[in-house]
Amino acid sequence: MPDVAIAPRAPFVALSALWLVLTGTLCNLRCTHCLNASGPAEPWLAPLDAAVARRALAEAEALGVREVYFTGGEPFLHREILPLVEASLSMAATTVLTNGTVMTDALADALARLAHGSRYSLEIRLSLDAADAEANDRVRGRGTWERATRTLRLLDARGLLPIVTATEIAEGAATYDRFRALLSALGIAKPRVKILPVFPVGRAVGAPGVRLTDADLEGFDRSTLPCAETRVVGADGVYACPILAGLPGARLSDGALAAALGPAALYHAACVTCHRTGATCRNA
Amino acid sequence: MPERVSEHRRIAVLGGVYANAEALAAVLADARRRDAEAVFCLGDLGGFGAHPDRVFPLLRQHGVRVVRGNYDEAVAAAAADCHCGYTDPRDNHYARISYVYTVAHTSAANRAWLATLPGHQRIALGPHRVLMCHGSPRRINEFLWESTTPDGLLRRLLAEHAADVLLCTHTGLKWSRALSGGAAHAVNVGAVGRPENEGTPDVWYALLTATPELEVEFVSVAYDHEAAARAVEAEGLPPEFAETLRSGWWTTCLENLPARERARGRF
Repeated sequence: MPDVAIAPRAPFVALSALWLVLTGTLCNLRCTHCLNASGPAEPWLAPLDAAVARRALAEAEALGVREVYFTGGEPFLHREILPLVEASLSMAATTVLTNGTVMTDALADALARLAHGSRYSLEIRLSLDAADAEANDRVRGRGTWERATRTLRLLDARGLLPIVTATEIAEGAATYDRFRALLSALGIAKPRVKILPVFPVGRAVGAPGVRLTDADLEGFDRSTLPCAETRVVGADGVYACPILAGLPGARLSDGALAAALGPAALYHAACVTCHRTGATCRNA
Repeated sequence: MPERVSEHRRIAVLGGVYANAEALAAVLADARRRDAEAVFCLGDLGGFGAHPDRVFPLLRQHGVRVVRGNYDEAVAAAAADCHCGYTDPRDNHYARISYVYTVAHTSAANRAWLATLPGHQRIALGPHRVLMCHGSPRRINEFLWESTTPDGLLRRLLAEHAADVLLCTHTGLKWSRALSGGAAHAVNVGAVGRPENEGTPDVWYALLTATPELEVEFVSVAYDHEAAARAVEAEGLPPEFAETLRSGWWTTCLENLPARERARGRF
């Protein structure tokens, strides 16, 4: 592991985004490049107890949080997902990141009821890996394309306006246009697409990569990094980055959010990607 | 030195002007008719519209007190981009066209004036301590949308900045919220340079009155939007900009809208 102690730091500015790693790394899929190596086997990062999630929400509200994200694994596998989304929506805009393969009509109806009953926005961010079935299913598993695109239609029909998230794996800058065209072809009138760069973490990790140094950050405003305004609650502690959650070097506290509001170490190769691309884990 | 805080009973507050001189003139005339004692503008004088330089004499002539917006900051410094805070490629495409045009059509004297604008403004409105800013008190280009701005965040921002009333713009969509049982308020005043994404070309501004309770009234103003749209076309700016002025529906720079706000528009 790289030396966390000597890594440059990002300051803590404010708690704008709270992430809850709701199912830990438990997922029904096993995508070939998953950012946190999630899968259906025994998760290496345990699911979050609902009581811990509720405590984090309350703590975040008192800290003036702006928005809440539920992630995993696949958060719709958590049996408390709906009451937790309801609790979150009572205090802030809420986003659920999903692979879109476990959605049912009843679940979509329930989400629509929660969304329409709240003053705050509910966003559903659905991950795909290519704008065609064959290429997508090579990464995410056979049949995932069909289930995910059905989910997009289910959500759109209920006015939930899903955001498709994809990584620039093969198609580079054209990825964005291809996904917009795909959504239009699916009959989605307001295509919403978020493109992320490829991060060297999880199953996508390659050879040991470069790390940031203080010299790299000379003249750069570190407070613009997402980790300056993000905290992530996982089963074993609090982190500053959703894709580094569960990695010992990234842990800021093993308990309360309030104990994790200090600077974050920019120790990982993924930190280089964030710095280089200006990527944000938030919706916009 | 302590900040000078002027005292008022009834004020008009305008959001982004976006180089729409036709709309600004109509709004200023309307505010005068409605007995606003003072007029404040929360910044972003350029963007989208055809005649950035025509906005400045109107503001001076009416004694409008202007807070610096991200666009003003960027244009003053001839920065690489508008500092709008967009992350979507389509939003950035149109923002870039608009920004390059605005910088090229804003005189050196007006750019120098933009550099002098304050980042925020404090006034007393009756008993209310009012803080005006562009995006949020903590960041000039923070988008305070109605559906993504929690009460908890607003209460915290007001407490941290010792204010009872927060006024902002940047999103282009208006909203108002009473907090703490009416003891505090947050108001996004919307924009005067671009319609509200509700299918009418009229634009909106806010009138705030201390009775002494705070009363917030949003006022819609019809103006010669056809002239503004024709000017956009004559300058060779994207037809989408003119379409928005005519139809009242946003056609560009809307990928960053949260789900709730996006659902209300046509596109």
